[in-house]
Amino acid sequence: MSFDFPITRRQTLGALAAATAWTAQAASPWQDTERAARGQTVYFNAWAGSERINAYLQWAAAELQRDFGIQLQHVKISDAADVVKRVRAEKQAGRQGREGTVDLVWINGENFAAMKRDGLLSEPFARNLPNFQWVDTEGKPTTLVDFSVPTDGLESPWGMAQLTFFADGQRLPKPPQNMAELLALARAQPGRITYPRPPNFHGTTFIKQALIEYAPDVKALAQPVTPAALEAQAAPLWRFLDALHPHLWRGGKQFPQNSAAVRQMMADGELLMALTFNPNEAANEIAAKRLPVTVQSWQFAKGTVANTHFVAIPYNAPSKAAAQVVANFLLSPAAQARKADIDVWGDPTVLDVARLPVAERARFSLAPRAGQLAKSAPALPEPHASWVDALEKEWVRRYGV
Amino acid sequence: MKVFGPWLLALIAGLPMVWALWAAASQALDVQAWQALWADPQTLRAWGLGVWTGLASTVLVWLTVARLLANGFIRRQLARYLVHVPALLATPHVAMAIGLVLWLSPSGWVLRLVSPGWTGFDAPPPWLTTQDPWGLGLILALWLKEVPFLVWVAATQMQREDLRRRWQAEHALAQTLGRTPRQAFAQVIWPQLAPRLQWPLLAVLAYGLTVVDMALIIGPATPPTLAVLAWQWLGDADAALQAQGVAAAGLLTLSVALLAAGAVVVLQAGVVLRKVASRGLSLHMTQAPGVVGWGERSRLQANVMGGVIVMAYLAVWWALGVGSVLGVWPFPQVWPTLWTRDAWVQVLGSASTVWTTLGLAVASASVCLLWSVAWFEVASGRWQRALRPVWLLPLVLPSVLWVVGLYGLALQWHLEGQWPGLLLAHALMVLPYVLLALEPAYRAVDPRQAAVVHSLGHGRWTYWWRIKWPLLRRAITSAWAVGFAVSVAQYLPTLYVGAGRYATVTTEAVTHASGGQRSLMSAYAALQMLLPMLAFVGAGWLGRPRQFEKIAPMKDTP
Repeated sequence: MSFDFPITRRQTLGALAAATAWTAQAASPWQDTERAARGQTVYFNAWAGSERINAYLQWAAAELQRDFGIQLQHVKISDAADVVKRVRAEKQAGRQGREGTVDLVWINGENFAAMKRDGLLSEPFARNLPNFQWVDTEGKPTTLVDFSVPTDGLESPWGMAQLTFFADGQRLPKPPQNMAELLALARAQPGRITYPRPPNFHGTTFIKQALIEYAPDVKALAQPVTPAALEAQAAPLWRFLDALHPHLWRGGKQFPQNSAAVRQMMADGELLMALTFNPNEAANEIAAKRLPVTVQSWQFAKGTVANTHFVAIPYNAPSKAAAQVVANFLLSPAAQARKADIDVWGDPTVLDVARLPVAERARFSLAPRAGQLAKSAPALPEPHASWVDALEKEWVRRYGV
Repeated sequence: MKVFGPWLLALIAGLPMVWALWAAASQALDVQAWQALWADPQTLRAWGLGVWTGLASTVLVWLTVARLLANGFIRRQLARYLVHVPALLATPHVAMAIGLVLWLSPSGWVLRLVSPGWTGFDAPPPWLTTQDPWGLGLILALWLKEVPFLVWVAATQMQREDLRRRWQAEHALAQTLGRTPRQAFAQVIWPQLAPRLQWPLLAVLAYGLTVVDMALIIGPATPPTLAVLAWQWLGDADAALQAQGVAAAGLLTLSVALLAAGAVVVLQAGVVLRKVASRGLSLHMTQAPGVVGWGERSRLQANVMGGVIVMAYLAVWWALGVGSVLGVWPFPQVWPTLWTRDAWVQVLGSASTVWTTLGLAVASASVCLLWSVAWFEVASGRWQRALRPVWLLPLVLPSVLWVVGLYGLALQWHLEGQWPGLLLAHALMVLPYVLLALEPAYRAVDPRQAAVVHSLGHGRWTYWWRIKWPLLRRAITSAWAVGFAVSVAQYLPTLYVGAGRYATVTTEAVTHASGGQRSLMSAYAALQMLLPMLAFVGAGWLGRPRQFEKIAPMKDTP
């Protein structure tokens, strides 16, 4: 896939300035960090529901062992909230710095907001990473602002995500391009569309997409939620859902647990379309022989919700130096290009590919694949993290009982 | 040793158990969390669903087990049950739920077999066959899983040499008084057996009310049962919601306690009725509660129910086997259009997961077995009676509550994320099952044997090594296998106390269920089933009776 973002003169200068500043101030501290990291073990807590992600991390572990003498241990978890909970419990039990069980965690959104608010993260580190200079902070502003919460260098960007739909082109030749068209489709083919039950995050994202499309004042969504704002901005959303639900799978009385269940039902023919946060998921699944080659991906024409996922270091990480080296390695063009490769994982890069040296840029040019997104739509920023909880509570009150 | 031993053993097992309970209880006493729980719009319906599925499945299990046991006892097939039931026991709950969904869902095998030919469906119909809002699918899954458990516990009781002979004699006596074999069982044997099944029955009730993993896969979703909600809240990043989850776990515990008290009252009422009856009232009034209609027709019912259960297990194993190689499988085709070996390739590549699982299971089953044997040998009857309810607590308290306590314990003892902590957590969950499995055999030991051995001038160790333990070999090996199976199936304690660092086949199966990869999930579920089955086969081989060809009059025929 390619990421052709026009480089402005200002950006280039800014990047150069940043790079020079880094060389002047931080070169020797970074060498110190690498030296300290040698021989350390990094327990990386990362969601492990996909064997491709696990395989990618195994590759990263081998590279890190060879080049930096770091042992990367993938701690397989099913939900990042488990890690937040664990670190918080460790803090409550009085664990000091370096007495924790987590060195690095894959995180974003309300989990990051919770860790930042409760002081569960280590000191800022992301901007000190040498490879941070290649991050596309202008073209992809969500690399610095996570669900409207500033990252403040407490987490380092890892990959991009954008709400994407996929369906079998033979059964759905003309995919809907916004929520209104989706409603029309549901009316025409009742019982063939659904979304995961919030608080599952794909389900919540579907709700947020509708919220953004229907909110009278989108700017209000970037502010922390208030009862008044919720009432004013979400009223059209609830009207839309009231109209949509009777035509959903099982009459909108039942919802699947997660997006994987939706994908499975789509593959079996029970549903018309599925949703994902990874624009390359359909291509992935086709390559893994779990979806037929006739499946196509698309995003709504006027844009869909997008965000960035990060890695962060808890306050009590035993191997902080090595965790930083791992975060830096994950940002390297080689690691990012491999991650973006559909045969490996297919997770879009956070780097500004156009700004990379020619040799590094070549890593990112790959032939298009079946099921891959043909044309990417604008990225709509996530509402402020506090909206998640408010929307979920209200959804459960209205539809979840 | 006689004085010191019981204290030491009680301390070894009791201290962590009480500590974990205290850690859980102290977190559950949060007034704000209870208020939030009360105010949550889902709580009441979710609680009602949990109670309904728990009670309905328990009553069904009870009725079924009564009929199966009557059949088995009258036709002298209990020994056969003991041979075959472990294969059903070894099928983990998660695997059962996954297999059932593969059959029953609108896009499952059942409808594919008759579509589009008979039904005309070319896409799955919008039927509520799995995750139905009434919890019927969950009740079915619980019924299938708990009947073998209770039959197995009961059969171990009824195969005790002393009880078996006495009960067969009493049964014969009742028939000479003109009862049919079924009436004789209902009026003489069942009232003696039922009270012995109290604890296992409570475990069935508690499990049905508080199960998380099965309910996630096949239970109602909008709202889910309270146990699932508690689990979701416990896993939330928000501290207030977590506290609400702990409160929900507390509410589940209270519910189990109240229902258990109710069940005990009902069972005791049966005993009282029988006593009244024996003072001259007609024996026809003495049917045990819940066991109505013991007519000859019930023999047919028992055969049908037994058949249904066995067929369901065969179907589930089949579905898991095929499911693990499923690629693209569009409805209504019976066979997939794409097959894949990827899942098994990956499972075979994760050998360390299997070794962790095996190591934990072997270690915790062995530790619990050693402790249990020591406990039965050194603790007096009074000690055993007094502390029995404490050891059985992990059976009847919700796993969501235990995991809060065990994790608190691990944090306070600096054991989180470490092998000893994980072993301790597993051992505490395994212990009650090993005790239950071992107890009937220990109770059946004839104390006169010891006297004879001592009178021949031999010490205690000679008696244990040469007489008692060899006689108990079958019970000891099968108790170990049960402990092994329980350890393999642990999900929540492994995840929390292990700080996620130790992957077992069960954590992998559930993690992959969250990623929805049907083939990989089925493959791990199959593996999760295979390991305990091997343990049971091994136990069966080790525990085979010694062959004394010259003295073999202990045939079943009276």
